[in-house]
Amino acid sequence: MKRMVNLQPSRAARIGLGLLPLVLLVLAYWLASDARLAENPNDKLMPAFGSFIDAIERLAFEPNKRSGEYLFWNDTAASLKRIGLGVGLSALIGLVFGIACGLLPLVRAGLSPLVTIISLIPPMAILPILFIVFGLGELSKVMLIVIGISPFIIRDLQGRVMEISQEILIKAQTLGANTWQIVVRVVLPQVLPRLLDAVRLSLGSAWLFLIAAEAIAATEGLGYRIFLVRRYMSMDIILPYVAWIALLAFAMDWSLKTLSRWLFPWYFGIGASDKASTESTKVAERTA
Amino acid sequence: MTPLIEARRVWREYGGNIVLENVNARVNAGEFITIVGASGCGKTTFLRMLLGSDSPSRGELLLQGDTIPDEPGPDRGIVFQRYSVFSHLSVLQNVSLGLEFERSPLLARLFGTSRRNAESTARELLTTVGLGHALHRYPFELSGGMQQRLAIAQSLIKRPEILLLDEPFGALDPGIRKDMHELILGLWRETGVTVFMTTHDLEEGFYLGTRLWVFDKIRHDPDNPNRYGAHISYDIPLGKCQPEVLDEIAANRVKATHAGRSDCR
Amino acid sequence: MTRLMMKITGLCALIVALALPTSALGAERSQFSIAWSIYVGWMPWDYGANAGIVKKWADKYGIEIDVVQINDYVESINQYTAGQFDGCAMTNMDALTIPAAGGVDSTALIIGDFSNGNDGVVLKGKQSLADIKGQSVNLVELSVSHYLLARGLETVGLAERDIKVVNTSDADMVAVYGTDSVTAVTTWNPLLSEIAAMPNSHRVFDSSQIPGEIIDLLVVNTETLQAYPQFGKALVGAWYEIMERMAAQDAIGIEARTQMAGASGTDLAGYEAQLDSTRMFYRAADAVAFNNSAELVKTMEYVAGFSFDHGLLGDSAADAGFIGVAMPAGTFGDKNNIKLRFDNSYMQMAVDGKL
Repeated sequence: MKRMVNLQPSRAARIGLGLLPLVLLVLAYWLASDARLAENPNDKLMPAFGSFIDAIERLAFEPNKRSGEYLFWNDTAASLKRIGLGVGLSALIGLVFGIACGLLPLVRAGLSPLVTIISLIPPMAILPILFIVFGLGELSKVMLIVIGISPFIIRDLQGRVMEISQEILIKAQTLGANTWQIVVRVVLPQVLPRLLDAVRLSLGSAWLFLIAAEAIAATEGLGYRIFLVRRYMSMDIILPYVAWIALLAFAMDWSLKTLSRWLFPWYFGIGASDKASTESTKVAERTA
Repeated sequence: MTPLIEARRVWREYGGNIVLENVNARVNAGEFITIVGASGCGKTTFLRMLLGSDSPSRGELLLQGDTIPDEPGPDRGIVFQRYSVFSHLSVLQNVSLGLEFERSPLLARLFGTSRRNAESTARELLTTVGLGHALHRYPFELSGGMQQRLAIAQSLIKRPEILLLDEPFGALDPGIRKDMHELILGLWRETGVTVFMTTHDLEEGFYLGTRLWVFDKIRHDPDNPNRYGAHISYDIPLGKCQPEVLDEIAANRVKATHAGRSDCR
Repeated sequence: MTRLMMKITGLCALIVALALPTSALGAERSQFSIAWSIYVGWMPWDYGANAGIVKKWADKYGIEIDVVQINDYVESINQYTAGQFDGCAMTNMDALTIPAAGGVDSTALIIGDFSNGNDGVVLKGKQSLADIKGQSVNLVELSVSHYLLARGLETVGLAERDIKVVNTSDADMVAVYGTDSVTAVTTWNPLLSEIAAMPNSHRVFDSSQIPGEIIDLLVVNTETLQAYPQFGKALVGAWYEIMERMAAQDAIGIEARTQMAGASGTDLAGYEAQLDSTRMFYRAADAVAFNNSAELVKTMEYVAGFSFDHGLLGDSAADAGFIGVAMPAGTFGDKNNIKLRFDNSYMQMAVDGKL
């Protein structure tokens, strides 16, 4: 028998092991839900799986009785718009300030302490200030996300810029580049894939701030719906919404990863002709 | 005639650490200077001062009679042992970038005819260094030797007066290193560029250079190794030296190494 | 492997056990718990628990009663509905739409008070409720505020479609009102008095104009109450002893109200101001009389109608009467699906001194 540390699951076993806890969870839920429903057929805490389907069918594929809207898609569109704007704006701010702070010692000296302090303030604690400054509409929801995640992106990107080797920056100068040219042709393309990494890492927090913002004051959105129906404990709506949020978050993460690999093959070391080219390279070099 | 480079009593100190002390030298255009010495003996510091990323703390370092600029510029090209090429650009883009910086101040990007012109210049140079077949690969797809060929081509596109090579072949296999020696000698003859090259390999220094400098400490304080700095302890015009000199230098280096690396740190 | 399977089975059993309502476990119980959250009409529970009155009455009936404060009102009702508590302080509307609509047969054991100005509509820069037309109104959607607003709109010939409701968390209501874009809110005390006191703000409608419609109750699980009448007796006994102390104008009464004020985060004057807009039933006889009235039936009809219109009675509800509400003066809705009961018998015992 090999040591535990040396045991590797086969591909099939890995998938099986990955699914096992999920299957067990679903099974446990099913058993518990069944037991509760046997006791009280109207129980709302753990509805049967059929109730989820009914709820989603009602919200997603039937127009709402009062407004005539398809609530599920309305909520999804509203939330995606907010999170897209919030994350996009944060990425832009992170890119500009991250490069400025990382590359220019003068800017870093002036801004870094401020960014650090801002990043330490929990945005939820200063909500009333946000309302007064940004009002209660879409702007304050987007800004909550921006204030929540952009300090992290700035700091992460500043670190990434500072990680760019001195050799590269000196090399660019010996090629005649001025500071602006270094930014647009060397630093910017070098940190773009790292920006996507930072954005992916901050997506979790972005969703958190989005849901929080929608819980506070809203008329639509995934977080709004969850907090609204929570009032009468409609878990048949809440649980599918939670699953949908998880799916959306996963899809966003996956798309960013795929986009990054497609746009920046050099960052991942994925070549058009991976190993074969290295071999032919060596041959070519000897004969050259 | 004004020498291309002149060092007058150059010192470099970092706080109490003296790295270089009293370096004096005159170098004329077209020379190929190879610099050897134990690690930490100021070879790279001297090269960095020529580059402009470091400055003397005392004395004067002159380029054509004027104080050398204290930041890097296109008249002094550099090839490091590693990380000299831009990983996000293809081979061709890496080389044409130098022309784009010059010809497009705002975007640092050329389009249309001007871009094709820049690319054809770059392509020519790349063919000379033996990378004509790999124009569209990214650096990570290149071997170490090919990356150094690329770095050299990248520097030469700016037609610098001085080419600084900081242990450029130190990480390469011996066979590939030989090819690189022929390449650099060929380019030096062709372009007439003045080369400063540091190396750990004494034989490489003798083989390539027209002049060999040895950086070493003249005085040692065993209790305080950083008390004294290094200077050019040998300045040998090559092709004219006796084999005994080579032995002497080698013996000194062994001694220095035995006395402890800390000597030169 | 079998051991692993056993562990997994054990884990599943544990999850199931946790998920089951507590009432399903154990044959004979002597421990009960009720939940409450901070509100003027429910502060007596906190006082009663601290002053040992609840324990005294529980001891008398040989049981134990835990009085648990939950920081979030809706969460306390949800916990009760999920079976974590045997009773919970809530309003008549929430009793209908949360536990009753969730299939938990519930009994309004004690009628504590009704809101008599504790809930209200405030407009910025406008003097009359009719001016609300076309505005966005910030309120906790589907709460009694929402109900109050709907009732208010009827009085000036408007309907909900004439305004836009913005769901707003009560915790942020005051901060939200401070922003320029917010011009109308509907909320409850103490937020209401704070907002109405801001410059250029006018209270244009409040619950004193629909007296007796927003009722604060202690709701208990009907099954538990039937199986353990001593639980109901102890609670009602304790409540009216607390009420007696609270209503007193002597030092004891002031001390009781001061403690309640402190626990709700205000001072005696602030608390008494809230009491002024709350019709407390200090005497059991008054509560019984209110319970017996035909108005209560009318009120529950309004509430059920509002709840049905807003989808709060569940998807299977065909009309407002889907859930039956049994009251002394009559039953509203489906007699075969009674899930909410206004029960006089325990309060009557207090009137009769039989506790």
